[in-house]
Amino acid sequence: MKIILSGQVQGVGFRPFVFNLAEEFKVKGTVSNNEEGLIIFAEASQKIIASFYNAIIDRAPKVSKINSHNISEIVCHNFNDFKIIPSKSDSRLNLQLTPDFGICNACKQEIIDPNNIRYKYPFTTCVHCGPRWAITKTFPFERHHTSMDEFEMCQRCKTEYNNPRNRRFHSQTNSCDTCGIQLKLIDKNSKLISKDNSSIFKSIRELFLEGQIISVKNTSGYLLCCDARNESVVQKLRNKKNRPEKPFALLYPTLEKLKDHYDIKHDIEKEITSVERPIVIIPNSKSNNGHIAKSVAPGLNQLGVMLPNSALLQLMANEIDFPIVATSGNVSGSPILSHNSEALERLSPIADYFLQHNLDIEHPQDDSVIKFSSNFNLRVLFRRSRGFAPNYYSQKTVNKAKVMAMGAHLKSSIGFMPNDYIYISQYLGHLENYGVYERFVNEVSGFISIFQQQPNVVLVDKHPSYQSTIYGKELAKSLGVELYEIQHHRAHFSSLLSEHSLFNTSSEILGVVWDGTGYGDDKQIWGGEFFKYYQGKMQRINYFDYFDWLAGDKMAKEPRLSLFSLIEDEKTPCISRKFTPDEIVIYEQLKKKNRLKTSSVGRLFDAVASLLDICDINTYEGEAAIKLENTIGDYDMSKCKRYVSVSSNAHVPTKAIIKGVQSDLEKGVKKSQIICNFLFTLANIVLGVANHYEIKRIACTGGVFQNTVLLDMLKELAGTDYELFFNCNLSPNDENISLGQMMYYLNGLD
Amino acid sequence: MEKKRFRFDKINLGHGSGGIMTRELLDELIFKTFNNPYLDQKHDGSIVNIEGKIAISTDSFVVSPIFFKGGNIGELAVNGTVNDVAMCGAIPKYLSLAFIVEEGLKADAFSEIVETIKATADRCGVVVITGDTKVVERGKGDKIFINTTGFGAVHPEAEISAKRITIGDKIIVSGNIAQHGMAIMSQREGLKFESDIESDTTNLNFLIEDLLNSFGAKIKLFRDPTRGGLASTLSEIATDTNIGILIEEDKIPLERQVAAACEILGLDPMYVANEGVFVAIVDSEIASNVVAMMKQDSKGLNAVCIGEITNDHKGKVVMQSAIGGKRIVTPLIGEHLPRIC
Ligand SMILES: [Fe+3]
Ligand SMILES: [Mg+2]
Ligand SMILES: [Zn+2]
Ligand SMILES: [Zn+2]
Repeated sequence: MKIILSGQVQGVGFRPFVFNLAEEFKVKGTVSNNEEGLIIFAEASQKIIASFYNAIIDRAPKVSKINSHNISEIVCHNFNDFKIIPSKSDSRLNLQLTPDFGICNACKQEIIDPNNIRYKYPFTTCVHCGPRWAITKTFPFERHHTSMDEFEMCQRCKTEYNNPRNRRFHSQTNSCDTCGIQLKLIDKNSKLISKDNSSIFKSIRELFLEGQIISVKNTSGYLLCCDARNESVVQKLRNKKNRPEKPFALLYPTLEKLKDHYDIKHDIEKEITSVERPIVIIPNSKSNNGHIAKSVAPGLNQLGVMLPNSALLQLMANEIDFPIVATSGNVSGSPILSHNSEALERLSPIADYFLQHNLDIEHPQDDSVIKFSSNFNLRVLFRRSRGFAPNYYSQKTVNKAKVMAMGAHLKSSIGFMPNDYIYISQYLGHLENYGVYERFVNEVSGFISIFQQQPNVVLVDKHPSYQSTIYGKELAKSLGVELYEIQHHRAHFSSLLSEHSLFNTSSEILGVVWDGTGYGDDKQIWGGEFFKYYQGKMQRINYFDYFDWLAGDKMAKEPRLSLFSLIEDEKTPCISRKFTPDEIVIYEQLKKKNRLKTSSVGRLFDAVASLLDICDINTYEGEAAIKLENTIGDYDMSKCKRYVSVSSNAHVPTKAIIKGVQSDLEKGVKKSQIICNFLFTLANIVLGVANHYEIKRIACTGGVFQNTVLLDMLKELAGTDYELFFNCNLSPNDENISLGQMMYYLNGLD
Repeated sequence: MEKKRFRFDKINLGHGSGGIMTRELLDELIFKTFNNPYLDQKHDGSIVNIEGKIAISTDSFVVSPIFFKGGNIGELAVNGTVNDVAMCGAIPKYLSLAFIVEEGLKADAFSEIVETIKATADRCGVVVITGDTKVVERGKGDKIFINTTGFGAVHPEAEISAKRITIGDKIIVSGNIAQHGMAIMSQREGLKFESDIESDTTNLNFLIEDLLNSFGAKIKLFRDPTRGGLASTLSEIATDTNIGILIEEDKIPLERQVAAACEILGLDPMYVANEGVFVAIVDSEIASNVVAMMKQDSKGLNAVCIGEITNDHKGKVVMQSAIGGKRIVTPLIGEHLPRIC
């Protein structure tokens, strides 16, 4: 019999698993990877084969993901035994790449067991855990295709590798203290402090307690760490990193400690301990204040927390009983660092000590970030990176075009479809930064070389000066392939249609795409869009009333400018408080002569944040919107009112919303209530528009839908009358543009 | 300046008819003002002498408003073309001059522009040797358009060519950037800043000539970053030659008032037009001497070396920012559109 499996079945111990099952069921044959996926030839009685087949599906390794499987009859081979056939580097292999996996429980046990050979070995991994994508040089995942190739297994490791009964049978990242990766602690002048795995983490604990900043090279990139309880060191890190306000994430030593400090709901616990080990944003309940320094997340009532994802971080955690700040090791705006010499050069002005090792990182990744809404536990990806990238799960596509999508600009990601699978790179960052751009270019060529497939179509955003658009055009030209420009919000909507397989449904879908900016078909700045998708056609049917876009990129950085644009009367006191008299004269003039218009809901949020004196000038991207949401606290939707309602011609009066906020503010309504009213208004606009067009299925995407209160309100209002769709495997923000571009193109829209 | 020399207040279609009215306008204004043997031939064209290689450059000038702080369209029309000829490593000598006037332009305004052209040409050491005047119907133009073509003799020591640029060459800017564009914009949009920003329009030919006299072929390239600003000019150089350009943000010479105006308007001064600034790409060994020489000249007081040619990022301009990060400087594509989400 021939069994074929596809999905994430590579680098996850699938072949060893099948091997052991074969032994258990006394099946003879082979297991290998080929163009079709994971392929098993099995010989035994029909009954045995049936239970063998079922066992493969039912008992598959925890970190694997089977997309499809089938069994068919073939001619008998007369096998003598059951063998694993190693795979060659072959780009045609129809397998998925493998993301990085958080340390498993078995490995966690080993590193604290003094009798185990991996006691305190910081790079302990097995087939169920350890880095994968981070160290991938080529395809498929075999040791000699990764940066583990540098390390030759010692006899003992080799024995484990070859023993089918061992957890490290065919574990490509297998290594130990004698043959493996070398850790060392140095100070910022490169002076060696320790290379001794048994004492190195004790020294680190001491340094944390002394208030030192330590740069830690994890298996996916550098982190900057310090004692999260120590206000002065957190402040020092802020100053040195040139990051005045943006919240830091915390690494908690244990789940127990975390639960000690905060109420952790079941969904959050599940997510935080998952194999992807993301940062999860949790409510920072006021009663629990005092466990961490104030400047960890200034002005916010939420906190990003995570648990150790590697043996290295686990060993560090084992020595401490307090949370530490663990933020990406970079200089503000630059990409996360991963090369030792570069990290030392760039981070030595920030970090006092460096915990380094000699495993090369091919694909540096930030930590992924997830948040749950508080009422309906809706799961929202804020950043998709380590643990999730680069695989994207959706049904196999039949289109044979090898599509490369260049994504957006500020939250960039790349999409590639070299075989039957879709790959979406990790979040790459803001392409304004040259380091990010370099990484972006490297990931493009990385995808091309890993699969040895050149794209035959390149997709870019319509925005002429997105760095990704410019590069995409250069790429298409140099490869001599076709290039298509896809409108930003259409791409957003397509990502959602794809996430929920809605392209082929027979009913109409309302696409609600709200974000900060995107270049529109009419050369204006879109951001408050309504589309109708029906039978392969996507049509813009409505949008927020246009208002003036003032002063270029400055408007997105200064929420007060959105207020200036949206406020009816620029003579109101709140304006004269936020602007100098000269500025007022100039901006009035700009507003009078301005021709660039926008429907941006992101800017509407900004205007409300400014009007409520929550944020006039962002010190980090999205600050106004985040702080707006954080001002709410508990709310009661039954006490909320709408500032506007959708009129009979479905027109959405943007300025009237600001007017409503203003009048409530004058009446002395509490800010938190005003914000709730504002969000309630927006949620009602969604349903009002849906109602007007008589569409029951509503798909919401774009950065605005990172607001979890808005999601909860929508969910509650929609009840069972409407069906709501949100992004699930991707972020609603611009990280989903690359997938959307691919799907827009592959489904033949336009 | 003699005012009211005409029997009419405004230019009308008749002045472009080619008939008596045209002749009157030319005689009274153009020929009288320029008054040189070439024009006095009143022929269809002029015959001149230029020895050796000739540099020719043409440019049309449209600007609103036509009179602005620091100059007018006429001054721009001469300086612009003179500078373009100078950027070729040449010494500008002759100028052609063509007007397209919109019906209704005040005669006084026209005569002031013509007189400015004469004064500017004298200052530049160039002679207007041929010209043309057309009048278009109201609404078919914007007050006045001017076209000039400049002719110059290439300096014997000059070897201006982007192809000669090599790794390590230094990039020098002759003065504060973004002055002209900000002056025009603030006046056009009626924006009031702390003090008025003046256009920097000026002729650069004598400074260029001095530099060529002293440094000759060690100078690889001159460019004047007019429309699209410094960013677009540097990007063009990088793309055309497939070399990398690395510049330092805090070296870019920028007057405080202009910087503040750009900041308020959300404009990047790197994309704002200049009319009295040039970029020189020179052999690294002469860089400091070039800067020193420029600083001796009133037109190069703020000259500074802003960066160099590198082996990295071929075809791209990268700017090292004051606070550590680097960013790509793209050429201006169409109009400025916000990219931040
Ligand atoms: Fe967007
Ligand atoms: Mg020119
Ligand atoms: Zn493990
Ligand atoms: Zn070993």
